[in-house]
Amino acid sequence: MSGRKLIALWLFVVSVVVALMGFWFMATRASMDYWVMAGSLILISITCYLSGVHHYLTTKNRHGRYIILYGSVVLMVAGLSIYIPDVLDLRPWEIYTRIPSDFFFSFFMLIIGILSSYVSFRPFHNFTKEGAQSGAYYIIHLSIIFTLFPLFLIMFNIITRGMGGITWEFLTEDIVSMGEKGGVYPAILGTLAMISLTAIIVLPLGVGTAIYLAEYARKGLAVRVIRTAVNILQGTPSIVHGLFGYAFFVLILFNGQKCLLAGALTLAILTLPIVTRSAEEALNAVPGELRDASLALGATKWQTIKKVVIPPSMPGILTGTVLGIGRAAGETAPIMFTAVYFSGTGTPSGLLRPIMALPYHLLSLYRLVGYRDVEPQAWATALLLLIIVLGINLSAIIVREKYRQRF
Amino acid sequence: MINKVLELLKEEKACQRISLPPGIKAKTSGFSLWYGSTKALKDINIEIKENKVTAIIGPSGCGKSTLLRCFNRMNDTIVSVRTEGNIWLDGYDIYDDVTDCVDIRRKVGMVFQKPNPFPFSIANNIYYGCQVNDMDVEKDEVVERCLKQAALWEEVKDRLSENALSLSGGQQQRLCIARALAIEPEVILMDEPCSALDPIATAKIEDLIHELKKDYTVVIVTHNMQQAARVSDYTAYMYLGELIEFGKTKQIFEKPREENTEKYITGRFG
Ligand SMILES: Nc1ncnc2c1ncn2[C@@H]1O[C@H](COP(=O)(O)OP(=O)(O)O)[C@@H](O)[C@H]1O
Ligand SMILES: [Mg+2]
Repeated sequence: MSGRKLIALWLFVVSVVVALMGFWFMATRASMDYWVMAGSLILISITCYLSGVHHYLTTKNRHGRYIILYGSVVLMVAGLSIYIPDVLDLRPWEIYTRIPSDFFFSFFMLIIGILSSYVSFRPFHNFTKEGAQSGAYYIIHLSIIFTLFPLFLIMFNIITRGMGGITWEFLTEDIVSMGEKGGVYPAILGTLAMISLTAIIVLPLGVGTAIYLAEYARKGLAVRVIRTAVNILQGTPSIVHGLFGYAFFVLILFNGQKCLLAGALTLAILTLPIVTRSAEEALNAVPGELRDASLALGATKWQTIKKVVIPPSMPGILTGTVLGIGRAAGETAPIMFTAVYFSGTGTPSGLLRPIMALPYHLLSLYRLVGYRDVEPQAWATALLLLIIVLGINLSAIIVREKYRQRF
Repeated sequence: MINKVLELLKEEKACQRISLPPGIKAKTSGFSLWYGSTKALKDINIEIKENKVTAIIGPSGCGKSTLLRCFNRMNDTIVSVRTEGNIWLDGYDIYDDVTDCVDIRRKVGMVFQKPNPFPFSIANNIYYGCQVNDMDVEKDEVVERCLKQAALWEEVKDRLSENALSLSGGQQQRLCIARALAIEPEVILMDEPCSALDPIATAKIEDLIHELKKDYTVVIVTHNMQQAARVSDYTAYMYLGELIEFGKTKQIFEKPREENTEKYITGRFG
């Protein structure tokens, strides 16, 4: 009984707040466009709420819950709709309005909508604990949707706009007149060369650090220092990595020559924390009993690590490495000072020679938009980068599954 | 000249030796162990007889596993452990600074409470010990010998290349015993080897222990007093880190000298 009253109270508060917001909104926006749209939405949701409340308080049947759910969904959609023009081009349909054009307003409606729909799950199960459970599941599912939704939108956007630009010529030809003509072949090769080199550098470093942390280090000062260093490295903005790479690798090690090796070293430092962390997690996941079993058979610690600990953690280590490499493939800041020159650099011609890379090419294309007709090429480059990164991740999954079958 | 120096060095590094009386495989003298600042073993003096089964019993937390793990220095893996006193194995001091843990563990095999086979094939599980110790043996022969000794051969001979994790709990534990036998140890330590097993698997392991004592010296920790009475020749009763009583199993179970032992054995334990 008290649950029912609580919900009625909640709904009442919600409708009052929404109504007040609506009035405030209309009072501060002069445009007819806005307040007709927003006002009607608010009216719909308030009507829904009030009739839901009415149902609850006056009748024994529980149909009011559908009405409440509907009202909540309307509120959420209204809240989200602010982003529609950002992700979908509505101009062809002559729709220019952002429905609630105010971020604060949209956010507020969204939160209220989510909470209300959560609350409305309770009466679905007659105020039992099952109601609370399905409410919780609903929130979990909702968060999954909220996670996947932007991803889906980004992918959809890039694929639809970039697909047309990807042709055989685009993949196999040199970059001509700063990318306006020709293809991106040198940039593809450059990116592939750089991430392979990065992987070769970072794998032993990262796995070595992880083995030290997970297997050898006692909980002492050394561990704390290393772990803090790894964390700081992870939190460092990539532009700082880029400048460090320039100052240290390019200027000191390579006599001012930007090159493939300098870029790969910089990216290796950038991905080191990711690889170290995931490798350490994978090593820690191997049960201590297996280590004991091996030691008790007269194996040395290193034999134990090599034969018992590393094989089952290999999938985790590789996954972490590939995730790191995927991140490295898309980075621009660390390579723009260390490895790439300009679009005419050509295909990679040596460890100590500069290269061209896809993310940097994308950046230079973006800078040209408005001056030259390069937008289709930019979208196609973005799609290509996306495909490469997804391909890397896919290969990680395949490798992992292969390993899983062996153990 | 250099040879002489090397010889001198060798001499100085040589392990302390005593001669144990015949029939005694191992012996602790005044052995204590601390986990950090808690003393888990207090001045333990016990003799392990050769080719006999010695059972260690006592309420949980009394230090049975700790004592067992001292015989192959498995406690070295725990950072905070500190020890005092000696354990002699064939007259050599296990806890001497120059003693190599790896050598000890080759001589003293161990079976753990929870079956812990490696996620390898059955055959590779057994061969692992030979591999890491560079033993010059035929893989097939070792696998067959050990599995037969552990009474597992008939059940698994057609699936030697299958993953060991596909075996049942009882089979896994016998595989672990077989694995311990592969490195040709002289002593086998077992820490509650049946506590995760059903009665039938337990009976199989107990039979196995009877077989094993012909060739090996067995030390078994158990919380099951019937089991101790069934399988062992000697029994040690521990309480709160102390060795309260040690003697022939028959004597311990029929006329214990200490009141504390009697209380525990008759189940009148507080
Ligand atoms: N790794 C450890 N670190 C600290 N204390 C431990 C550790 N292992 C065991 N102990 C303590 O040592 C005592 C003896 O433990 P254990 O030998 O496992 O007992 P049992 O095997 O007889 O049940 C217990 O009080 C236990 O809490
Ligand atoms: Mg124990």
